[in-house]
Amino acid sequence: MSVLLAQGVEVTAGEAWTFWLLAPIAVIGALGMVLARNAVHSALWLVLTMLALGVFYVVQSAPFLGLVQVVVYTGAIMMLFLFVLMLVGRDAADSLIETLRGQRAAAVLVGGGLAALLATGTYRWLEGTPAAGLAEANAEHGGNTEGLANLLFSRWVLGFELTGALLIVAALGALMLTHIVREPGERLSQPEQMRARFAPGNYPAPKPGPGVFATSSSNTTPAKLPDGTASPRSISPILPIRELTAAEAADKETER
Amino acid sequence: MTTDFQLPAIDYQAISPLLILFGVACLGVLVEAFVPRPARRRVQLGMALVGVLAALGAVVLLAGTNVVTAGGSVTVDGPALFMQGALLAFGVVALLLIGERRVEPGGAFVAQPAITVGSEADQRQASAPGATEVFPLAMFSLGGMALFIAASDLLTMFIALELLSLPLYLMCALARRHRLISQEAAVKYFLLGAYASGFFLFGVVLAYGYAGSVDLAAIHAAVDTSQMNPALLYAALALIVMGLLFKTAAAPFHVWAPDVYQGAPTPITAFMAACTKVAAFGALLRVTYVAFERLAWDWLPVIGVIAVLTMLVGAVLAVTQTDLKRLLAYSSIANAGFVLVGVLAVGRTGASSAMFYLVAYGFAVLGAFAVISLVRDREGETTHLSRWAGLGRRSPLVAGVFTVVMLALAGIPLTGGFTAKFAVFSAALEVGEGWLVIAGVVSSVIIAFPYLRVVVMMWLSEPSESTATMVAPGLLTGTALGIGALAVVGLGVVPGPVLDLAHDAALFLR
Amino acid sequence: MEGYLGSYATLGLLLLAGVLFLAAAFGANRLLRPARPANPPGKTEAYECGLDPVGGDWAQAQIRYYVYAYLFVIFAVEAVFLFPWAVIYADPGFGIAAVVEMGIFVGVLALGILYAWRRRVLRWT
Repeated sequence: MSVLLAQGVEVTAGEAWTFWLLAPIAVIGALGMVLARNAVHSALWLVLTMLALGVFYVVQSAPFLGLVQVVVYTGAIMMLFLFVLMLVGRDAADSLIETLRGQRAAAVLVGGGLAALLATGTYRWLEGTPAAGLAEANAEHGGNTEGLANLLFSRWVLGFELTGALLIVAALGALMLTHIVREPGERLSQPEQMRARFAPGNYPAPKPGPGVFATSSSNTTPAKLPDGTASPRSISPILPIRELTAAEAADKETER
Repeated sequence: MTTDFQLPAIDYQAISPLLILFGVACLGVLVEAFVPRPARRRVQLGMALVGVLAALGAVVLLAGTNVVTAGGSVTVDGPALFMQGALLAFGVVALLLIGERRVEPGGAFVAQPAITVGSEADQRQASAPGATEVFPLAMFSLGGMALFIAASDLLTMFIALELLSLPLYLMCALARRHRLISQEAAVKYFLLGAYASGFFLFGVVLAYGYAGSVDLAAIHAAVDTSQMNPALLYAALALIVMGLLFKTAAAPFHVWAPDVYQGAPTPITAFMAACTKVAAFGALLRVTYVAFERLAWDWLPVIGVIAVLTMLVGAVLAVTQTDLKRLLAYSSIANAGFVLVGVLAVGRTGASSAMFYLVAYGFAVLGAFAVISLVRDREGETTHLSRWAGLGRRSPLVAGVFTVVMLALAGIPLTGGFTAKFAVFSAALEVGEGWLVIAGVVSSVIIAFPYLRVVVMMWLSEPSESTATMVAPGLLTGTALGIGALAVVGLGVVPGPVLDLAHDAALFLR
Repeated sequence: MEGYLGSYATLGLLLLAGVLFLAAAFGANRLLRPARPANPPGKTEAYECGLDPVGGDWAQAQIRYYVYAYLFVIFAVEAVFLFPWAVIYADPGFGIAAVVEMGIFVGVLALGILYAWRRRVLRWT
């Protein structure tokens, strides 16, 4: 407990209890995030870690930071993560084939080594450092949040304004890469669609759905027409028509 | 509430280049929102060019200023102004390339990057006018770079780092042709860049732990006075420098460069090669010279090894390349090594030689990518070496410009490249770093081979059926080419004024 | 129950009481209810469509949800900066300067929403 029990600042029993209760939870959350197979579970483990960190901040007399941690990270950023996962699809697993031989082992070794070095290093280098405590700094402006605000809007005002610029760049990028702009007139109106549908040369009836009367429900399997031939109209032109293997074309025992 | 609060005095004139750049960038977003699409590109290009030129003018007017302002966030001193000037000059040329729409119908950028690659809608937008958001993005990036060079504390430097990187990641993904490679490049650059930023930030934290401040000058002072364990400072230095070396593409932090240079749209590759290099070395110089100067004897050998490795890796791998964009990527890695040699000659001569090198390299590489954007077939740019055989017979003028640029990169006398290499190596010799010079000369010889091979192929081979065609450069690319070639020759024939300017400017304000 | 952590201790006790109440309610439910899981034949078989369900039930979301989430993040970050601003802007020395600072910040962010609005990102069709 030597990190917590820094000289000069008394650690209350409640604080120590909170730390020893939540620290393992935070570590378990972090491990769970890395080790979980399912990306959504990873994200939820991360929420656990972030909440635990938020509590740590509050316990260490930084209520504003704790609040930010909960509002921004656990709230907004995690939501963004989950949306990304929903876009990707939960089952989209990463390819685990190593393109460079021994890369994974080397990465684990080097990464683990660096983490161990920095963790033990910071522990050793900071051992015995007198903790200054926040009381003095907080008293100067009448509170923690007030003190932060004083710094933020005076010394760091340039950085603060540039954070806005950073956010707007990110917004521009996110919108550019995800949103397709349709110019007015690009989308056909209902009468125009109907006219196009019944125009000569177009087949007005609905297209057969993929997999209808077929031996597989894959949307790359063309539908069968009443005469038994495959209908290329039933699948999207950008999908390759899938050749079924004998095993796939065999009875699925679902016809009973 | 014990003290009556005073807002920090901000010297608006000293930060006017930054204000102009960010102001124009924000206006650019407004233009995107309100100007009708057909007029956008014209308005954006005009505004961006005027903005960069105005910022350049402001930098020139500021010459000789030495001031720390904006609450201690920004240092406006000789090196900052010199490198901001170089950055903005490169910015003008890069903007000309970005604005070009003659060479490829619609420009080098895709109209709607959100449309799925290869879909029917994607085929429909094949020759639609490209996205104009790239102009405000480039302006934000330029603003971030200008701040990165001048930041006088690590936190502002970090914000600037993000501000210059984020638009670059985005712009990498916007190529009109080969969109999948372009998006892959963007993702790679983004992920690795995020890691590098993480390292940088961790280093900042440790530096704060040691010095109790993130001010570069305060860290310098704390090196002698702090009671903390010095190991903390070494770790901070290592992590911060790692983050910066990533941006300069120094080995072993260079692996992103070839893929990203190849995948990004060529104007953006040119922008990255010229401008990002200046910004990253500007920050590296400031961090090592201002904050960690007293540790120079500790970091010199380590960064020295990195410099040697960078030069050799870049040079040797450049020899094996068959794609011109990748070749130039490895060349940019090797050149990062050469600049590092200048950085390692700690002192006024070293800083000025590194700054001069950046200027000479930037113009040369802008010219090279301008030519690459012109050599095409029906599929877009043809960057495979074999397709360039015999180009000299077909379009001697542009091939001639490319030859001059290649000779400059190879460091042949009477070009800027030679003067720059000479300046860097003599600065290193002056402080007794002979081993760096030996490695530098060896890798210069190695890397001259691929450059000269391209030149020989262009002029001495007969044009065949597979030879690509050279599109006539439009006004914008033509101007960019002209500026590049003139600067390369000018810096070789009369390097005096720029060398003097660099030497006068090379004193950091602490 | 006093000092900096005192108020949080109260909150913690309340949370604990809540958790205990929930656990007690569910525990009582489990103890009291009859444990005869109904499993009539055919309950778990495919219904109506005739095709056996294959694979997971996860569907990919439309990417436009992401844009909304992102716009929300921007304004969450803005709100975070507004909290400290709100506690000091009436202090001596800040006043109009602090209002201008926040005005610039919010103005720059408003550019993002303007851009989104003009590109019809906010229209759900």
